[in-house]
Amino acid sequence: MEERVLQLIFVGLIIGSTYSLIAVGLNLIYGTMRLLNIAHGELIMVGAYTTFWLFTLMGISPLFSLFLSGLASALLGAMIGQLIFLPAIRKTKSVVVLESNSLLIFFALSIIFQNVASLLWSADIRGYSYLTQIVKIGGVPLMLNRLTAFITALIISVVCYLLLQRTMLGKAIRALIQDREATQLVGINTKRIYLFSFTISFAMAGLAGCLISMFYEITPFMGLPYTITAFIVIVLGGLGNIMGSLIGGFLLGLVETIGISLTSPGLRSIISYGIFIAVILIRPKGIFGRGV
Amino acid sequence: MKKFSSLILGCFIISFCFSLDVMAKDKIRIGFSMSLTGIYAPAAEGQMHAYKLWLEDVNKKGGIFVRELNRRIPAEFVYFDDASSTDTAVKVHEKLITSDKVDLLLGPYGTTNAFAAVPIAEKYKAPIFMSTGSSIKIRDLGAKYVWFPTSCIPDRQMQALVDLLKANHAQIKNVAILYLQELYPRENLQFLEPALKKAGIEVVLKKDYPMGVKDLSTLLSEVKAKNPDGVIVLCYAADSFLFTTQAKEVGLNPKFLFELVGPAAVAFGPKFGSNTEGISTMGHWSPKGRWLDAQGFHDRYVAKFNKKPDYLNSVLAYMAGQILEQTVEKTGTLNWEKIRETASTQEFTTINGPVSFTGTENRRTPSMILQWQKDWLEIIWPPETATTRPLIPKPSWG
Repeated sequence: MEERVLQLIFVGLIIGSTYSLIAVGLNLIYGTMRLLNIAHGELIMVGAYTTFWLFTLMGISPLFSLFLSGLASALLGAMIGQLIFLPAIRKTKSVVVLESNSLLIFFALSIIFQNVASLLWSADIRGYSYLTQIVKIGGVPLMLNRLTAFITALIISVVCYLLLQRTMLGKAIRALIQDREATQLVGINTKRIYLFSFTISFAMAGLAGCLISMFYEITPFMGLPYTITAFIVIVLGGLGNIMGSLIGGFLLGLVETIGISLTSPGLRSIISYGIFIAVILIRPKGIFGRGV
Repeated sequence: MKKFSSLILGCFIISFCFSLDVMAKDKIRIGFSMSLTGIYAPAAEGQMHAYKLWLEDVNKKGGIFVRELNRRIPAEFVYFDDASSTDTAVKVHEKLITSDKVDLLLGPYGTTNAFAAVPIAEKYKAPIFMSTGSSIKIRDLGAKYVWFPTSCIPDRQMQALVDLLKANHAQIKNVAILYLQELYPRENLQFLEPALKKAGIEVVLKKDYPMGVKDLSTLLSEVKAKNPDGVIVLCYAADSFLFTTQAKEVGLNPKFLFELVGPAAVAFGPKFGSNTEGISTMGHWSPKGRWLDAQGFHDRYVAKFNKKPDYLNSVLAYMAGQILEQTVEKTGTLNWEKIRETASTQEFTTINGPVSFTGTENRRTPSMILQWQKDWLEIIWPPETATTRPLIPKPSWG
């Protein structure tokens, strides 16, 4: 019995760590720019494919290609931010118009990414085997790749948190999330911060994709469920609240796993969407409220 | 009088142009709707590839022989993406028939789209040679213009599985069943349970899970605790990958393991390597089967696409092409009504052996069980088509 409880907690934490990583990335763009990136899942897909190809064609370890896929996604983020979104932000005066326009742009990007990937690499299901040894922790067997992904996701999340809390750049990002105009008044270069948040957010999606590819299958259309989960997490933790997303991800992972085990795996969607609706109804600001 | 003669002349010119059109026919245009994007796209690829290979093979011979024209006419495809949406698939079929005016049609991907296209085929009396798609409802359709080559119909398929277990009753006395909450796995479950009961095989655990499941390890621990002789997973490809990974993780080692859909997918072998040994799945084909061109099809496919064909979708798609081709050759014309008659009554030679239809269903090919043995999927049941003996007990995970 004790082993079973332990297994539930481990699985919940492992799933939660990827949820956190994905949600923090999504929330960063939303918090700073009020842009809802519905193409977030597609960047996860790009990261997963980068890792897959580097591993199968060149034998590069996914742990090393973590940096490469992060970098590739970051570059993509910087490019898209610079070419599409900065001009859009500059030209649009109202936040409401910006939000709806960005939704359309991201939707288009999502379709483009999916179909380009499908054209380039075909729609075949892909997967590879890496670190498939079994380790036992407290009597619970876990595959080494999932454990590695968990630890890596944890490290990335902590680094991201420290970056936001301890550095000047992080402070500037937080300031921007709190009040855009006041940030400009005190002389922070908002354009630079926008671009930076974009790059970090995309990089985090790429990193998440790399970790996910170690144990889940890869297809050009794998991204959407992750985007949806990330939305639930950022609503749960509070829109624009980075710390909230970090904790929210773990919370959702645990609640889902334990909920499923007490009821049935068939109820997974009901549990996650149930939480989503409950949070919107009872505490629309999210469990941890707005703020950083 | 002058008017009358010019009318006659006009009619003559028009009918001459029409006959010229038939005589001048330089292409047989074959239309289909394909899920090139969207959720079905990963699974639909093997079907699309096999269609292309079939087209290439046919045109290498100079095309399909049409007796009334006394020559071979090359075939060409007219196809559109349905984005894995049934609504779009329906529209594509209507467009192919009414606007593109294709000569014949091949099937779209999957049961849902195929079934959605049936009313269109009936409405326009346009023959569609279906490929992928399987459901017990095939025989209830009562349709006249569609034919499904699959023999993986749930009732026959689950009976074949239980027959195999019964033949190995000394080792398999009880099973655990996991099933995905989707139409096809549920249909299979509906026939599996009574068949097991009849065969005296006990079901120690039965659990379901949803599409897009991200973790099965807690569920598999539950299965492991029951220590069943056999585990039957009625799954699709994505969850089959997850199941196989996590069965190894929790150390679930049954003597017999059956995964409905997935083990025949192209990526399964490369991903799991030697761990595939002894995993069984549904099917009706193997390159090692004793059928004309079975190995040839496999080799040409590998040479063209640099990967193995999907043993279900690719094979069914190629078979559909072969059946279309032979129907035209046996009929000698492209007249839809005559084509329908030939397809419904004649027998066809395919890479899966002889095929003939009872209504819309291929009753000629038996349902089979395949098993991974030494990096190949071999047919292990029924004995008359088997390429090797079943490997029971399945070896433990490497």
